[in-house]
Amino acid sequence: MGRFLLKRLGLATITLFLLSVIVFFGAQVLPGNVARRILGPFADQAAVDALNKNLGTDRPLLTQYWDWISSFFRGDFGDSFSYGVPVSDLIGDALLHSLKLAAFAFVMVVPLAILGGVIAALKRDRLIDRVITIGGLSLAVVPEFVSGIILILVFGLWLDLLPVSANAPEGSSFFTQLKYLLLPALTLVILLFGYIARITRAGTIESLDADYTRTAYLKGLPRQVVLRRHVLRNSLLPTIAVVATQTGFLVGGLVVIETLFNYPGMGKLIFTAASQKDFPLLESAVLISGIGFLCATLVADLSYSLLNPRIRYARAE
Amino acid sequence: MDETQRRVDEVRRERSEVENHLIDEYGAGKISRREFVRRGTVVGMSIPLLGFLAAACGGSDGETGGTTTGAEPTGDLKKGGTVRVALIQPTTAPNPLLVQDEGGAGILGATGEFLSFSDDKLELQPRIAESWEPNEDGSVWTFKIRQGVKFHDGTPLTANDVVTTFDKLINPDGGSANAQSALGGVLSPGNIEAPDDASVVFNLDAPNGNFPTLVSSANYNAIIIPADLDPGDWGKTFQGTGPFKLEKFTPKVGLTVVRNDDYWGPKPNVDKLDIKFYDEEAPMILALQGDEVDFVEHFSVSGGKALLGDDNVQVIAVKAATHRELHMRTDKEPFTDKRVRQAIALSIDRQALVDGLWEGQADIGNDSPFGPLYPSTDTSVPQREQDIDQAKQLLADAGKGDGFTVQLDTWNGFEIPDLAQLVKNYAEQIGVTINLKITDGATYYGDGVFGKSTWLDSVMGITDYGHRPVPNVYLTAPLSGDPKIGVWNSAHFKNDTYDGLVRDYVAALDLDSQRGVAKQIEELLLDETPIIFPYFYYFLAAAKPSLKGAVSAATGQFDLSKAGFTA
Repeated sequence: MGRFLLKRLGLATITLFLLSVIVFFGAQVLPGNVARRILGPFADQAAVDALNKNLGTDRPLLTQYWDWISSFFRGDFGDSFSYGVPVSDLIGDALLHSLKLAAFAFVMVVPLAILGGVIAALKRDRLIDRVITIGGLSLAVVPEFVSGIILILVFGLWLDLLPVSANAPEGSSFFTQLKYLLLPALTLVILLFGYIARITRAGTIESLDADYTRTAYLKGLPRQVVLRRHVLRNSLLPTIAVVATQTGFLVGGLVVIETLFNYPGMGKLIFTAASQKDFPLLESAVLISGIGFLCATLVADLSYSLLNPRIRYARAE
Repeated sequence: MDETQRRVDEVRRERSEVENHLIDEYGAGKISRREFVRRGTVVGMSIPLLGFLAAACGGSDGETGGTTTGAEPTGDLKKGGTVRVALIQPTTAPNPLLVQDEGGAGILGATGEFLSFSDDKLELQPRIAESWEPNEDGSVWTFKIRQGVKFHDGTPLTANDVVTTFDKLINPDGGSANAQSALGGVLSPGNIEAPDDASVVFNLDAPNGNFPTLVSSANYNAIIIPADLDPGDWGKTFQGTGPFKLEKFTPKVGLTVVRNDDYWGPKPNVDKLDIKFYDEEAPMILALQGDEVDFVEHFSVSGGKALLGDDNVQVIAVKAATHRELHMRTDKEPFTDKRVRQAIALSIDRQALVDGLWEGQADIGNDSPFGPLYPSTDTSVPQREQDIDQAKQLLADAGKGDGFTVQLDTWNGFEIPDLAQLVKNYAEQIGVTINLKITDGATYYGDGVFGKSTWLDSVMGITDYGHRPVPNVYLTAPLSGDPKIGVWNSAHFKNDTYDGLVRDYVAALDLDSQRGVAKQIEELLLDETPIIFPYFYYFLAAAKPSLKGAVSAATGQFDLSKAGFTA
């Protein structure tokens, strides 16, 4: 296990390094000049040059990159070019918001989708299976800005049951915050349910058709025990992988949902930083999201081991 | 002698030549009451005085400009409460020197205060300055600073704070680019002085009849800050003298301000403004409809159609000078011949653009910066209308009867792509093929200097211009042949007669003179047509019906100090 973790850490470090290089140099291709964007199109060129010098953006790219990455590993994320405040403050708030929404969405969609997938598999080719798979797929292809607006119109405006934005007033209770997060979380449920349910269905069908399941039945084990002890443990392996990869999306990719519901999460932060060529903010936010993604996949891998002893023993060997 | 006339004569004896000339114009019926009051505030006359003179001296009551609908206070307003405001996301740190966007202007004005406030009627309401007056030729303006005003931390405001504020703004090394776009060529560093604690004197580079507007809230960076405060640190305390003061600011989320009980003027009705930042317009509109905000600072016609027809929403429409400029390079083919430029202008159906793009919430333009809302606009100049036959004839006369192909560059903001497509369609009717190249704003504006900017280098382009309460900047920067002044001259227009007329206009102190020169400028630009001004669109804000007294200025600022909820 120790070797496994060390190996994963090494791979994660290389991945994050490559990510930081790609994002930094890729952002240089974006049109516009940093100081010009801050001062506006009507500013004097001398003022633009002075601000570029002040921000250090007139230095060679490699120098800029090295300064930034070495500060990052010292825990100094620098100040935002656009907002003039520590990047860590902006990221801290945004990350907390994203984690809250991601957690709420996961708590709803994961059990629901797993249940749906298992039922669809158990009732394979019957009406309930069709409803779950086709219905889920149909919902998954609806863009989130469409489903989000429909939810806002129905529950926020017409029925006046839920708030139309996601950010609860400061000091709100836990349940009030959940109320504000419900509509964006439901939008995510609509988006992710079909995908996770189909993967679960496929994994469950594979497990149901496997030799060990037939053997378990032939041994005389009750259906419930077979499902719980043999089928589910194996069918959930691909589902775990899918859920882990969705974590990165939920933490750093919800630009549309965060914009629609005016929610100050990581997705909007990264998008704004890229638009404004705010390199310290962009780089740090992307790396933090990347770290989150890698942690989620590590947890997924560890869960694999727990659920599947063959993987655990292979690693031990 | 009748008592009223005696009082008028007494008042006039104490007025300057400029003010008396304005009174004469009004008395002779040359300007409407609205124009008299508006111009009167600019030259430094108080509203009560203007009201008295307007009643005493008669004159026409013709309406020009002003608010079409408003959130005027009616009936009793409740004391207290919180107004929830939706404001577009500021794009920079809250630094009075750096702000150059609507969201930033909104937060500067939330706690900051100006020498005067340019309201929705283009009238200047005294704030930190109690009054102002020019010398004989308008080259020196003296502002009387209100006494007893304090910053939010209790420090008294002095004339020196006003001087240092403007010194910082116009400092060529690190000042405000936006403020300098208004004051460049008008006021140079080192020419502002405070002879005493109650006065500030601006010694201008040249006579300027509209100077007070250029240092009002219309120049949204010009909030007065303490002399010893670094503008870069302003965002820590939002130090100002306004009716509201900072409670909390969270970058990218919002700003909360509370009533300033030590304010020098009438205290606000409400206790608090809770200003939330929105990255996009749609969530702002949904928030208003979902009763999560009470006031939306700005919405567009295309995005806010649902609000325009909603009986549960007050639409506050302010006539504004916000417009688009379709430039044609006068120094490059195919537009070197003015007949070609005129032909393009004649191909456009402006009313259709106003009806289609703005649902009527705009005024048609006449190819000059003189929009209908300006009192100095001469409306006797014939309005250019679509005339396809004449356009084709002009092209034939210019040797381009077979048509030609040209590229139009612009960016994908607001309704601009739709306007570009419509211009292309209109041009096809006269045999001109326009190829559209639409990029993002950063690409279009580039570095904002000649040689490094599609905006300034393209043969044909569409550029957006924000509202200015006086047309001075529009007359100079985009059209002046002087390279030091015409820094936005995308049409590369060079005309000495025009430059001379603009100097005359800027120097003119009275409305009659301004209008006389404006007529000549309008006619010259109609003839030369370096730029097509298709329309001037209204600035739209929205409020819940229960919120009264909200004032929206077309610069994106709002004044909620007199707002309140109906009882």
